[in-house]
Amino acid sequence: MSSEVDDLVAKIMKELNGNGGTATKAPAQDTTSADPDLTAKDFPLFKKHPDLVKSPSGKELKAITFQDIVDGKVDSKELRIAPSTLRMQGKIAAEAGRSQIQNNFQRAAELTGVPDDRLLEMYGALRPYRSSKQDLLDIADELADKYHAPICSNWFKEAATNYEKHNKLKGDN
Amino acid sequence: MKRQKRFEKLEKRPVHLDGFVKEWDDEGLVAMHSKNDPDPSLKVENGVITELDGKKREDFDLIDQYIAEYGINIANAEKANAMSSQSIAKMLIDPNVSRSEVAKVTTALTPAKASDVINQLNFAEMIMAVQKMRPRRTPFTQAHITNTLDNPAEIAADGAEAALRGFPELETTTAVARYAPLNAISLMVGAQAGRPGVITQCSVEEAVELGLGMRGFTAYAETISVYGTDKVFTDGDDTPWSKGFLASCYASRGLKMRFSSGSGSEVLMGYTEGKSMLYLESRCIYITKASGVQGLQNGSVSCIGVPSAVPSGLREVLGENLMCMMMDLECASSNDQTFSHSDIRRTERMLGQFIAGTDYISSGYAGEENSDNTFAGSNMDVLDYDDYESMERDLAVDGGILPITEDQAIKIRQKAAKAVQAVFDGLGLPEITDEEVEAATYGSTSDDMPKRDMTQDIKAAQDLMDRGVTVSDIIKALDDHGIDDTAQAVFKLAQQKICGDYLQTSAIFDKDWNCVSAINDNNDYMGPGTGYRVWENKDQWQKIKDIPWALDPQKVDF
Repeated sequence: MSSEVDDLVAKIMKELNGNGGTATKAPAQDTTSADPDLTAKDFPLFKKHPDLVKSPSGKELKAITFQDIVDGKVDSKELRIAPSTLRMQGKIAAEAGRSQIQNNFQRAAELTGVPDDRLLEMYGALRPYRSSKQDLLDIADELADKYHAPICSNWFKEAATNYEKHNKLKGDN
Repeated sequence: MKRQKRFEKLEKRPVHLDGFVKEWDDEGLVAMHSKNDPDPSLKVENGVITELDGKKREDFDLIDQYIAEYGINIANAEKANAMSSQSIAKMLIDPNVSRSEVAKVTTALTPAKASDVINQLNFAEMIMAVQKMRPRRTPFTQAHITNTLDNPAEIAADGAEAALRGFPELETTTAVARYAPLNAISLMVGAQAGRPGVITQCSVEEAVELGLGMRGFTAYAETISVYGTDKVFTDGDDTPWSKGFLASCYASRGLKMRFSSGSGSEVLMGYTEGKSMLYLESRCIYITKASGVQGLQNGSVSCIGVPSAVPSGLREVLGENLMCMMMDLECASSNDQTFSHSDIRRTERMLGQFIAGTDYISSGYAGEENSDNTFAGSNMDVLDYDDYESMERDLAVDGGILPITEDQAIKIRQKAAKAVQAVFDGLGLPEITDEEVEAATYGSTSDDMPKRDMTQDIKAAQDLMDRGVTVSDIIKALDDHGIDDTAQAVFKLAQQKICGDYLQTSAIFDKDWNCVSAINDNNDYMGPGTGYRVWENKDQWQKIKDIPWALDPQKVDF
């Protein structure tokens, strides 16, 4: 129990010190080891740990107020889930025996940094007969290099291999 | 032949308008088991599945590959698959074995093995198993909110009424595709006006739908379809990898989502590989599990005409719902598209899910008259409300729909129509007139609504997307018009998307924005005296008991 509290404190300190305003820049793996260990009893985060939940720029959840939105002081990008929150929810899911959900949320955490339009294009590229093998590998590189998204990068590599084997690449239809 | 009078009368009964066909294994017109279904098998070498249901790894198709890679809990797989299907089936209905104990075994099975387990159960046993295996302790249901004119005031009013009646999720779609953003906004506003915490979706093409969510016009998505054969999956314009990626895209924007699948889709799309509907559906369920998606809408859904035509078809449909729950997935259990002209069969259709209780018994129930349901009609609609509520009262079952009074309906419908009127004004959309608000308040179908200039609406919808309008503008519009409580509710919904609690399995919000999911409302059924019992949920039971049309015998003069 005490080590859990320590982890939480460490996490909060790290968030306070380190995540000033640019959390979306390197979203994926920077704070994984410092994410607190959460279980079912920490759920829902909104009621139990609102302090741990941050906006993409690192603001505390409760610091984003109704009035600020009405006054047009909040960029709508601030009304989004942050990678650290997705990883916390992933831990809660895994703790409840749902490791696949955690995997999904880890991919999602990586994708928070990809702009909407580019994300929709990436999804389109994975649809059957849309992309050459090289197209998919190029996106894999983009994910790894530009968005620090190694898991999603791998996802595209895996798709490239499997699409080649099962004839889902551009021109295969 | 001289006609026998009784047979002549029977032929005139509505059930004779329904479709019935004999089984045909090679075309997949078979519910539970086809002669072409593979026998279950599994080989694990160095932590890698090298044989799955009769196929060696080198012979895997794309779906096998995906399931073998991600869909099966490998650590327990050899042990679980070595158990007899009958012994696993017995665990499913044994009240002494908890849900989590069963799930440890069932999440490690192969698709063919899970199908074989379902084949051991009769309909009554499936009900017993569903009661225990649904992830969320408290059952709910979901409604469709549509109309054939895409009238925004009517969408908002119907949404608000459904919200007040207890549906925690509402789903719209369009009659005219380009109305999508207007329908999404109208439903969200109507729902929050009706009962804060109700979440909404707008079912349209995959990429468009995600775009609506990104702007904050919707809170979840459900019609992300997956299929059981490689050919049909490709015809559906996706692969397991694209759908798995799409799942992560949704989560990355804090949006809840579930996949959708259902028996009969492969028959309708023409490539069954001669496999049974249950076996093909098992593959869809495993694709969902493999993707790390928290739930699935299944139970044939819009393909119900196919399984309902063959022997044991509706048993199969409950069976596939159960299999979804065995994989520890949220189950929105269909009872969706209309399939029968017979009121008796309509009731039969939902009996299993209704009695057992599921995460969402219907997905959805028509929250408008079926003539306005642009999902092609649902098994039950608003005109069935009083029958449905009577059944809940008769059987002491919580089917997730509550009686309301006429006065309550009028008030909430008017409130929602006015709220969406304000939002349209605030966003610079074509006016919703007072006449429309009045018609939406007192009307029942789009026939009761004044006609809008649909060309202007469609232009405005495109313009709204081009202008980059988001949920912040909606909050502002409501606030500017002094509609404080709905503005606050839309704001709170936006806050919840930052927090992500409702991305967990089977999550909904109550009226105070408490997130209720399989994490904090875990189904703990273990026989009589345990699990959810509606009479222990005293407020809910009181509302179900107090149908407005029941007489008070103490106040009746005999």
